[in-house]
Amino acid sequence: MTLPFEILLVEDNEGDVEMVRRSLRAVTPACNLSVAIDGTEALDYLLKRSNFQNVVRPHLILLDLNMPRMSGKEALTLIKSDERVKTIPVVVFTSSNAPSDIRECYAHHANCYVVKPFDSGEFKSAIGEIVNFWRNLAVLPHEAAKP
Amino acid sequence: MAPTAKQHPQGYAAAAPATGARPNILIVDDRKENLLATEKVLRPLDAVILKAISGNEALSLMLRHRFAVVLLDVQMPEMDGFETAMLMQEHESMHGVPIIFVTAISKEERYATQAAEIGAVDYIFKPINAEILKSKVKVYLDIYVQREQILKLNSTLQQSNEELERFAYICSHDMQEPVRMINSYASMLDEQYGAILDENGRKYLRFMTGNALHMRKMILDILAFSRVGREEIRLEKVDSNQIAKEILAEFETVVAQKKAEIIFDLLPELETSPTLIRVLFQNLIGNALKFQNGVSPPEIRIRAQTSEGFWQFSVRDNGIGISPDFHGKVFTIFQRLHRREEYPGTGIGLSTCKKFIELCGGEIWFESKLGKGTEFFFTLPEEAKRTL
Repeated sequence: MTLPFEILLVEDNEGDVEMVRRSLRAVTPACNLSVAIDGTEALDYLLKRSNFQNVVRPHLILLDLNMPRMSGKEALTLIKSDERVKTIPVVVFTSSNAPSDIRECYAHHANCYVVKPFDSGEFKSAIGEIVNFWRNLAVLPHEAAKP
Repeated sequence: MAPTAKQHPQGYAAAAPATGARPNILIVDDRKENLLATEKVLRPLDAVILKAISGNEALSLMLRHRFAVVLLDVQMPEMDGFETAMLMQEHESMHGVPIIFVTAISKEERYATQAAEIGAVDYIFKPINAEILKSKVKVYLDIYVQREQILKLNSTLQQSNEELERFAYICSHDMQEPVRMINSYASMLDEQYGAILDENGRKYLRFMTGNALHMRKMILDILAFSRVGREEIRLEKVDSNQIAKEILAEFETVVAQKKAEIIFDLLPELETSPTLIRVLFQNLIGNALKFQNGVSPPEIRIRAQTSEGFWQFSVRDNGIGISPDFHGKVFTIFQRLHRREEYPGTGIGLSTCKKFIELCGGEIWFESKLGKGTEFFFTLPEEAKRTL
């Protein structure tokens, strides 16, 4: 049996965490969602530091930009410059549609950039499509390692 | 600005540069006694006096100081006054600095012409009349000080403008998230619990989503407005006819619904910002379709003609028109002339158009008759200015 698809959501807004959780309920087979509330916690999680010694490495990172302490962009830069975690696809998932944010995120090697849809129905289908793409369509590095 | 007036009773000090530094006067003469005599005459003026005994010395002082005015003796050994002035003019800090030639040579036309060609603004003949010299120099000092004051005010204004725009940008950018959340949760509440609410409860939820949508439109419009000038303006060959077609396609539903007729000539290709053309057509066609009496179907005509290096476009409608009382307010940001229930909008569109088109070297205006219709005109240079 295949292991569940692991998603790390880096998001400080509880409203958005709930929206993502709710949207994932409609996705089958079910995914495992873990939440880090900012960039610092995301890095601890990914590098299995402090309280995150026993967590599973995620298949996909959903990254918000606007967060306290360490912003999404800083976290993105650190993730993409760390040999241990840089191959994990990062989907920037944010309210910002500023051209400068989009440009900078790709310059820092974001794997894709999605603006959170305003409409709740569209938000739900966006999450569905992201998971579907990265789980079913894209081939990820850990699968290439399999015989 | 620092209240410097008290320290400088002569009066122009209030306008001195922010550092409180007094303006510099440069006197150039090969004879020490002349330098001292001139300095004595000018001492009562509120200025720092610098002296040079030769053209070379004057040039080296020029590299270290900015001058409000230069008094230059014409007859000097080695480098004469004209030569010195010509070399000075090449230096950036000397652009626009008045040079007064001081000369014993009689009022020969030849010298006056030569001096004028070099860019001297004035000359004084020897023997020097102290009062004339002093009042002439004072005039130039006053001009200098006023110019400095204006430059300083301009930069302060520009700075506060930029700060305001940055504020508007950041504010609206960060408001996108909470307004999306309000809208999403109100509609989720309606979906999931709508059945157990009474008619009033559902109405309140509709007010919430309706207003969240309106707020979102405002935020997007403010963002679009403040992005004009923030983002680099890309200039390229633009087929305005193609863009007009694309914009019309965006309005397809409204056009069908209102049975509108939109006619446009073959519109030109020109070198400009494609975003600008989109913004203009979106707003002007959108307004032409919107501000209608709802009885007769909208008729919109888009034209373009060329004259004197400019393309002039126009968008004419048969709508409700704009009352002359409001003609001055049409391009003011957030200015709306109607209740939102009558004609929805944020009052930002036309001010974005105006801001954008002026940055691209064009103009926008309109003619209107109440109850008959409005025609908006805008011009754009045929060849884009490369200075953008």
